[in-house]
Amino acid sequence: MTETWYLYMFFAAALVAVGLYALLTMRNIIRLLIAVGIIGKGISLALLASGWAQNLLLTAQSLVITFIVVEVCLVAVALALAINAYRHTKDLDVRKLTRLKG
Amino acid sequence: MTLQTLLLIGLIVFSALALLSRDLIKAAISFAAASLFLGIVFFRMGAPYAGVFEISVVAGLITVLFILAVALTEKKAEVRESPKARLIFPLFFIVFIIIDVLVMRGLIRKIPTLPAEAETGLFGQVLWGQRTFDLVGQVAVILAGVFAVLALFRKKDLDD
Repeated sequence: MTETWYLYMFFAAALVAVGLYALLTMRNIIRLLIAVGIIGKGISLALLASGWAQNLLLTAQSLVITFIVVEVCLVAVALALAINAYRHTKDLDVRKLTRLKG
Repeated sequence: MTLQTLLLIGLIVFSALALLSRDLIKAAISFAAASLFLGIVFFRMGAPYAGVFEISVVAGLITVLFILAVALTEKKAEVRESPKARLIFPLFFIVFIIIDVLVMRGLIRKIPTLPAEAETGLFGQVLWGQRTFDLVGQVAVILAGVFAVLALFRKKDLDD
C-alpha cells in the first residue's frame, strides 16, 4: 500500500515540478496555461492517491471532479483574456503585457 | 503495478512534450495525451468517475479550448522561447528526480493522516449527500466563468 502511494506521490511531485519550471521559464501565454493544467494534473493525482491510501476514494473522487470543473473555468477565462491581450498587442509574449495601460 | 508505472511515465513524458514542443498545436495534443494517460491511471485506481471526467473534460474540452485559442492567433505571433529554458530542462528534471527519490519516502511517513472511517454507500450519495456545499460553490464558479467569458467577448456598444 505504502509503496504504491509513494509511487503516485513521486509522480505527482514530478508533474508539479515540470509545470512550475515551465511557468518560471516560458513566455508564451498559451504555453503557460498548459503548464497550469499540468500542475493541476499533479494536484489531482496527489488528491486521488491520498484518498486511495486512506480508503476514502469516493470523497477524493468528488474533490477531483470539483477541481476539474474549476480548472475548466480557469482555462476558459484565462484563454479569453489571452485572446483579448493578443488583440491589443498582436503578440502572445507575457513580457509585452507590461506595456498595457488601462 | 508495472503497467501503472508505465502509464505514469507516459504521463510525465507527454507533459514534458506539451511544454517543450515548438508547435502549439502539437503541445495541445500532447497535453490531451497526458490527460488520457492520467484518466487511465484513475480508472485503474478504482476511480471511474474521476477518470471519465479527466478524459472527457480535460482531454476533450480543455484541448479544444487550447486549439481554438491557437487558431484565433496568427502564425507570426509565435513567441520564441529562450533556448536556455529547453537546454536546462533535462538537467533540472534529473536533479529534481534525485531529490524526489531521496526526500519523498521520508515525507510520506511524516504526513499526519486523518482518521479514516470506512466509506459506505455509492459515489452519488457521497457526492450529493456529503458535499452539497462544494457543489453550490461549483455552480457559482461555472456561472462566474461563463459571465467572465461573455464579458470579455462582448461586442462593443454603438455609443463607444
